[in-house]
Amino acid sequence: MPKIHVAAIGMARKLVGFSQRTIDFSGETVADLLRALNTVDGRTLYANLVCEGKLRGDYAILVNGMSLTAEQLETRLEGGDEVVTMAILRHLHGG
Amino acid sequence: MAIQHASHHSSMTGQWIPSTCGMCLHGCGIRVQVVDGVAVKIEGDPTNPDNLGKLCPKGNAGLSRLYDPTRILKPMKRTNPAKGPGIDPGWVEIEWEEAYEIVARELGRVRRDDPRKLLCAIGDFQRIILWGWPAVFGSPNFFTSLGNYCGGSYHPVNGMVDGSFAAINDYAYCNYWIQLGSGDGFSSHLHVSGSTKRMADARMRGMKVVVVDPRCSPAAAKADEWIPIVPGTDRAFVLGMAHVLVHELRRYDRQFLREHTNAPYLVGEDGFFWRDERGRAQVWDLRVDAPRPWNDVPREAMALEGTFQVDGHRLRTGFQVWKDILVDHTPERMAEISTVPASTIRRLAREFVGAAQIGATIEIEGKVYPFRPAALNYYRGAQSHANGLLDNMTYKLFNMLVGNIDVPGGHLGVPLDHRGFFISPGEDGMIKPEPHQLHPIPPFKYPPDSTHLMEWFPIGFDAGQLNAETLLEPERFGLDYQPEVLLLYHSNPLWNMPETDKIEQIMRRMKFIVAIDIHLTESTQWADVFLPDRTYLESTLLNCLEPPVVTGHSLRQPVVEPLGDTRDAYEILTELAERLGFLDDWNDLLNVVCGFVANTTYMLDPDRRYTVEELWDRFARSVYGDDRGLEWFKRHGHAVRYRTPEETYMPYGDLRIPFYFEYVKRVGAQLRQQMEAAGITDWRFDNYVPLPFWKNSPVIEDGERGYDFYAITFKEALHTFADTVVMPWLTEVSEKDPVHQGILINRATAERLGIETGQRIRLVSPAGRIEGRAQVVEGIHPQVVGVSNAITREYVTNPTVRVKGAHFNRLLTGSMRYTDSATGGLESTARVRIEVID
Repeated sequence: MPKIHVAAIGMARKLVGFSQRTIDFSGETVADLLRALNTVDGRTLYANLVCEGKLRGDYAILVNGMSLTAEQLETRLEGGDEVVTMAILRHLHGG
Repeated sequence: MAIQHASHHSSMTGQWIPSTCGMCLHGCGIRVQVVDGVAVKIEGDPTNPDNLGKLCPKGNAGLSRLYDPTRILKPMKRTNPAKGPGIDPGWVEIEWEEAYEIVARELGRVRRDDPRKLLCAIGDFQRIILWGWPAVFGSPNFFTSLGNYCGGSYHPVNGMVDGSFAAINDYAYCNYWIQLGSGDGFSSHLHVSGSTKRMADARMRGMKVVVVDPRCSPAAAKADEWIPIVPGTDRAFVLGMAHVLVHELRRYDRQFLREHTNAPYLVGEDGFFWRDERGRAQVWDLRVDAPRPWNDVPREAMALEGTFQVDGHRLRTGFQVWKDILVDHTPERMAEISTVPASTIRRLAREFVGAAQIGATIEIEGKVYPFRPAALNYYRGAQSHANGLLDNMTYKLFNMLVGNIDVPGGHLGVPLDHRGFFISPGEDGMIKPEPHQLHPIPPFKYPPDSTHLMEWFPIGFDAGQLNAETLLEPERFGLDYQPEVLLLYHSNPLWNMPETDKIEQIMRRMKFIVAIDIHLTESTQWADVFLPDRTYLESTLLNCLEPPVVTGHSLRQPVVEPLGDTRDAYEILTELAERLGFLDDWNDLLNVVCGFVANTTYMLDPDRRYTVEELWDRFARSVYGDDRGLEWFKRHGHAVRYRTPEETYMPYGDLRIPFYFEYVKRVGAQLRQQMEAAGITDWRFDNYVPLPFWKNSPVIEDGERGYDFYAITFKEALHTFADTVVMPWLTEVSEKDPVHQGILINRATAERLGIETGQRIRLVSPAGRIEGRAQVVEGIHPQVVGVSNAITREYVTNPTVRVKGAHFNRLLTGSMRYTDSATGGLESTARVRIEVID
């Protein structure tokens, strides 16, 4: 079974209860992966992060370092891929 | 530490340690001579292609920062509860444990209550990775104008045009350089030490430089031509030149505009692109004389200009819309505004377009590019104004007219850091607009969370100056809380924000103030606890910030043992994060801002504390590979190299860059809807426009209220953010330069007013007043007075500083009226009247 490395940042980490983990993945897409990840509230990461089939605006997902758009949850995954899920931090300040 | 032998031109022996300058934000490569554990000399690192062994006065004077006898070397707490200018805080030294305990208690109190009650003033650009600490604390508040002063409108427009953060003309190939309100290549802005060398080399091969500036700056003094101008009217001058190109000479790069910008896209009567039922932007297809989707028409078959009737609608190309706007921006009208003679506007426009060689190409490393060796460069003086968005758009569009954006010889984008341009596909074949590169665009919210109303500036940066209005009149903006704690991190809001009296009022309301800095300033003297940071010669980081021609990191490393009982700012903030219970979120933030999320091998464990060296070691390995960790950088000093032509020129590839800023108009329309839905009816949307034009600013209107003159401030290579005024070597030099000796006033004006050099005068603006001694000079516009940043400090206890009271920012207004309504950029010019005191 292909192995996918999953990292979770910020609120996503608090939802899944781990920071990094390599998991056996039987699905095909990012959406499948989100459905396979259970969260501490008894739901799945998909239920927390996805609204009407699109990634919520306050979250980001990277696959092998590349950011997905909200509509790219059907991106296919292969063994060895790295998937990072994270809440977007709104305020870093600057000027 | 790595050791190198003394250079052949240095007279002393000892160890030479490579490092990075920290005297301004840019970070030139340096090497420091250390004898018996004492740093004795700093030179530019000749192996670093960024500064080529050169170093500015600030860099040369760095030892007087390290060994400043007034530096704070141990934590302190105040014993006198009274606060204010000149009030002795009654400092007593304390141990770090006590300092941390006090600070964690006070910060913890507001974090449990409402984390937004933490107000943060953050400087220290080189340690930009630390700027997000308040965000993970839970506060969105930004209380400074340090960056907004210069870049509030500049950075968003660069980001929207080509995913860059800054911009500079092409030193390597430019032959005709117009410079507006900037010291690039002479005295300030991007990596000045190397840039002066590059500018000098370009001049040696014959490049002509025209400097447009109210003051005869170092750039103007060395230029082929100095054009004095009224502050804040540079846009009028450039619009006049654009009129000449488009309507009089009819010379512009039609191919570039048609093939690399959205100028051919059709615009409807509502100002938005004309789209088909599938939402695709339309162009006019010259083959069939009809509108077609942009991607169905070969680029050469698109109409660049023209007005068309379709189903009873009047459509124009984006280029045609600006062409129509320019009709009445004649040199004569623009001359009345700017005081630059119409004949000069025409001559410079003619010279510029001639030098641009429209149609020429050049082959570089086997690839053929357009060759446009004429470009207009600009910075703070030309665009930090109340209509700064329009200013920046104008300068970009003027460059686009000759097709010089990101091509050899032209006007080049400069990335924020080693990651390069932020370029990705956007709508309709264009690049995706990236107005924010320091943080994601915050969604609209009412009531707002942030005191600087960031949720109301969807394309702006952080308009810290607005705190002067919002915190004193919170009900006007729906703010439903009041900040109680202030964190000062290498920042001096009492100095670097407009309306000093209001800032004092806000600081008086703070129940607790903590400062992380290396010395006392106007603001840190108000602190309850002072946590001493280490200087750049005692600390570690990898630096890459706004590199104009290079890329890669340079290592800052301790060259001597840290003095006193100081700690690195990273260690301080990490300790506080742990004590306050958010070390995990802090590490997660660092995972994001350090880019570790792109390669999880180097991600920080959320629950583990990392030393500053561990952090930067991971950073180095994540960017350069496992064989280039921190130890590699200690041996080699830097991994800086020239950007390749492919990394520099036309990074947008086949994507189009915006000529017509429909995105700005659309964002403004969306904000208006959100505002109206929230019941806000008095917000301004006037600068959410797709194309620039001339309109008067509040500064010009202030002239009708009896404020006859314009007041400007200026910086030169000697000083940064007035922070360096405490350094005796620099003060000694600046005090020998007449331009730093008083309020500059034109000789003819002075004679008319009966003012002589040395006479005390007062400048009175709508916001405040300052006093100083007149310095009568030839090199300033007759309607302008100038105040150097090298003379302007107040109630600083450092004995090097001779208090002169001419605090320029007191003249500025921080209100919305003087703020660009789209970007939040502040107005850096004030109208004043002059009063003779004696």
